[in-house]
Amino acid sequence: MDRQRHGRLQVAQLTKVFDTQEGPVTAVDAVNLEVEAGEFFSLLGPSGCGKTTTLRMIAGLETATSGSIRFRDRDLASLPPADRNLGMVFQSYALFPHMTVMENAAYGLRVRGSPDAKVKARVLELLETLGLGGLHGRYPSDLSGGQQQRVSIARALAYEPDMFLLDEPLANLDAKLRVQMREEIRRIQKELGVLALYVTHDQEEAMSVSDRIGVFQLGTLMQVGAPEDIYRDPTSLFVADFIGKINFFSAARAAGDGVTVAGGFETAPTRRHALSAREAADYQVQGAGSPHAAVVAVRPEHVTITPADDLQPGTEHASRGVPGRVRRVLFLGSMTRYFVTTDGAMKEVMVESPRPIPHVAEGMAVRLGFDDHDAIAYLADA
Amino acid sequence: MAAGLPARGVGAAGPDGGLPRRSRDLTPWLVGAITVLVLFVFLLYPIAKTMLSSFVPQGEALSLRNLSLSNFERFWTSPLYKSALRNSLVVSLTTTLIATLLALPAAYALARIRIPFKNLLLSLSVIPLIAPPFIGAYSWVLLLGRNGIFTHYLNDWFGITLPSIFGPFGIILALSLSYFPFVFLIVQGALAAADPFIEESAAIMGASRWRTLRTITFPLVAPSIASGAMIVFIRALGNVGVPSVLGSDYYVLPTLILFQVEGFFNLNGAAAIAFVNVLLVLTFLLVVRRLTGKRRFVTLTGTTQRSRMATSLGARIFGNVYVWGLMALALLPQAMVVFSSFAERWAGTMLPTQFGLGNYQLILGRVLQPIINSVWLSALAMLMALAFGTITAYVSLRKRFKGKWLIDLTIMLPFVLPGIVTGVAYLTTFNSGPIVLTGTAALLVFGYFVRRLAYAFRSVSASIGQVDPQLEEASTICGARWARTIRTVTLPLIAPGMLAGGILVFSTLIGELSVTIMLFSGTTKTVSIAIFEYLTSHRIAPASAMGSIVILITLALVFAASKLLGKSMADLFR
Repeated sequence: MDRQRHGRLQVAQLTKVFDTQEGPVTAVDAVNLEVEAGEFFSLLGPSGCGKTTTLRMIAGLETATSGSIRFRDRDLASLPPADRNLGMVFQSYALFPHMTVMENAAYGLRVRGSPDAKVKARVLELLETLGLGGLHGRYPSDLSGGQQQRVSIARALAYEPDMFLLDEPLANLDAKLRVQMREEIRRIQKELGVLALYVTHDQEEAMSVSDRIGVFQLGTLMQVGAPEDIYRDPTSLFVADFIGKINFFSAARAAGDGVTVAGGFETAPTRRHALSAREAADYQVQGAGSPHAAVVAVRPEHVTITPADDLQPGTEHASRGVPGRVRRVLFLGSMTRYFVTTDGAMKEVMVESPRPIPHVAEGMAVRLGFDDHDAIAYLADA
Repeated sequence: MAAGLPARGVGAAGPDGGLPRRSRDLTPWLVGAITVLVLFVFLLYPIAKTMLSSFVPQGEALSLRNLSLSNFERFWTSPLYKSALRNSLVVSLTTTLIATLLALPAAYALARIRIPFKNLLLSLSVIPLIAPPFIGAYSWVLLLGRNGIFTHYLNDWFGITLPSIFGPFGIILALSLSYFPFVFLIVQGALAAADPFIEESAAIMGASRWRTLRTITFPLVAPSIASGAMIVFIRALGNVGVPSVLGSDYYVLPTLILFQVEGFFNLNGAAAIAFVNVLLVLTFLLVVRRLTGKRRFVTLTGTTQRSRMATSLGARIFGNVYVWGLMALALLPQAMVVFSSFAERWAGTMLPTQFGLGNYQLILGRVLQPIINSVWLSALAMLMALAFGTITAYVSLRKRFKGKWLIDLTIMLPFVLPGIVTGVAYLTTFNSGPIVLTGTAALLVFGYFVRRLAYAFRSVSASIGQVDPQLEEASTICGARWARTIRTVTLPLIAPGMLAGGILVFSTLIGELSVTIMLFSGTTKTVSIAIFEYLTSHRIAPASAMGSIVILITLALVFAASKLLGKSMADLFR
């Protein structure tokens, strides 16, 4: 493999402002990003968060308003997109409808003036690898969605690009094929060792294929990290909420490291982050604006349920837990899910348990608890 | 694995770096600038200059100090001007009304009644649009004139005495039957595309068929009716050929322009008449827009469900008789042209007494040069219209820049300008000043080009609209430069649209009269001028023979285009 192709991508203060009829709109706001050679990196976020615009700026299909994009310590801004040597897979696949599978996949090599025999051998080999052997004479309209997807991958990789860019490549496939294709994309990427940038709005997809993920919200890169790190330690309410499921409890700062969840439950989460004023407003946090405002976040699998009857009044246990009432129990096979209404949680609390919890049924008064090391605190004045 | 590939990408300059290649491709901007320049020189400038000249008294130089309203005074002092203005309004409004009223029942019948050979009918309806109306106009003299074939029957059997075919009756008859397909095709298309469930849901709620038609169907297609009617009005107001052939001393604005130019070479006076002509068009456009509003109803659905068809026998018989009868009537002039082209002796009798190819032999020596002229002038103009139409369509759809609306507006301008106005504008502008082209073939080619640029622009725009911009981006990312992407991706995909546009431009230019009559010279006499001269000197036999040739050529071209594109002939004109 060609060692020269390995390089890291550095994006600094990248900003894109669109001029619209309603005035300028900042689609991407001062994004900083470093992606290592050979890394599979996902840009994740809801639609309109700027992830695709970021990708298109790296590809050169959009011009950045400000900021820099460097690859292998060279500025990309001065290179027209055609000269950046990138491979890209589009959401619509963008296969050339008037060319055969062979001609589509060979396009980049032909543009580079490779000799015909070499092009043919290389493309046939690649098509074989992608499970498209024997289809080289077909036209895109004769192929299934999954096959079209593979052709578009072949076209993007045939000329060994320096970066592999994918813009929501699986959005048009059915659920089963999506799982299969994402595994395949990762396998090929790792085989070639090419740096991949993958845009998706599907957090499960991002978690399953990526080495690292960058989570976007409203043009801002909120957090970058390995899937486990982002899941375990989201640094903002948005990321906590967007990645997996989570419960938010309204809380207030107490003495020392302590945080008191509404309802009187005392906790001292080991992971602590700042609660920004914007998020406090977005999530309608109780007491937003006060320096004592706080939110405690706990994943559903980390919340415990104890029937309230088991606790003796007046004992120390009585204060251990958030009082609530079970509204709904869903037996889902691999787990059981409980929905509990409480005074303290900002929404209904979701609890997931690998097996049904004995003696807990719908309508029952319960207490919810969790360990300090499973909770994340977001503190207004931290 | 990458051995043998030319170096590309970031590492291409070598491991030590060095300055990156900075190759900002200026071609798109250059092309855009040329397009703007061409549009300015050959469209905006002539029209602006003509409008200005209309305020300069004949014989005086164009300057701001000489501006006066003297050319317009005639519209309230001269009886000829006053009547021409009134006649123009009468002819174009009546034609628009009759054409629309003829077209609507036919369009509705096609959408709601089983009609055998429906596609044939749709293709036939294109013929009146392709064949220049003035060629068929004289047929009405042969059919309904003083010694016309039908005149006797109508008089003897029904006791009907028709008004003279020379005058408003003949002009309106000929124009209405030539132009109703504009409304027919547009409305029929809209009805065919309308979601049948909308009508069905009205029916389910208890609305009668008539109520559904009045409250649901009609409002849905009202914008289509309006745009069809606008085309008819603009065409009728600008048509110079039919009132020249059938007008006699009944003048309308276009024939008055012709009279001023041919009789007195009064260009500034002609410009003033053209100005009034344009004002009428704009007024009509504004009124129609006001009436129908900006509403557009898009009811396209993916359903293959067909609309409820009327099954009653009465409705089916009536519908079939109506549409086929209308079509027969509309094609009668064309058929008559072909028929009389074979008539060798036809004098004093109702029908010819001898048939043969004599007329074709007669014109043989004289027809070739005009046809050759028409073909190469039209072909050159077509190539230019295609080239510029494609570039402007591409720029307008793919690039974002300020002032784009101006280009879009400019290019559609000839759509609302009567051809004779373009003719006057060219005559005025290129007769003196920085560019003098009077009497040259170039003048005609540019006139044709500007006149049909919008056709090419529209067909190509539609094709480009079908091409996903991501295809071009994908090509770019694969390493293709601008020119290569256009050549290998965009052009092959829009080629069918370009071909259709080209044939449409070419076939409608072969018989073009209103621009030609202003701009032709002895060396650039076209087939339309030859026919026109025969017709206005009442030499019907050679006119019919040449007319038949023109009708045949254009029909064959449009047929070939529809076969080549796999589209129906009707779709080419919708």
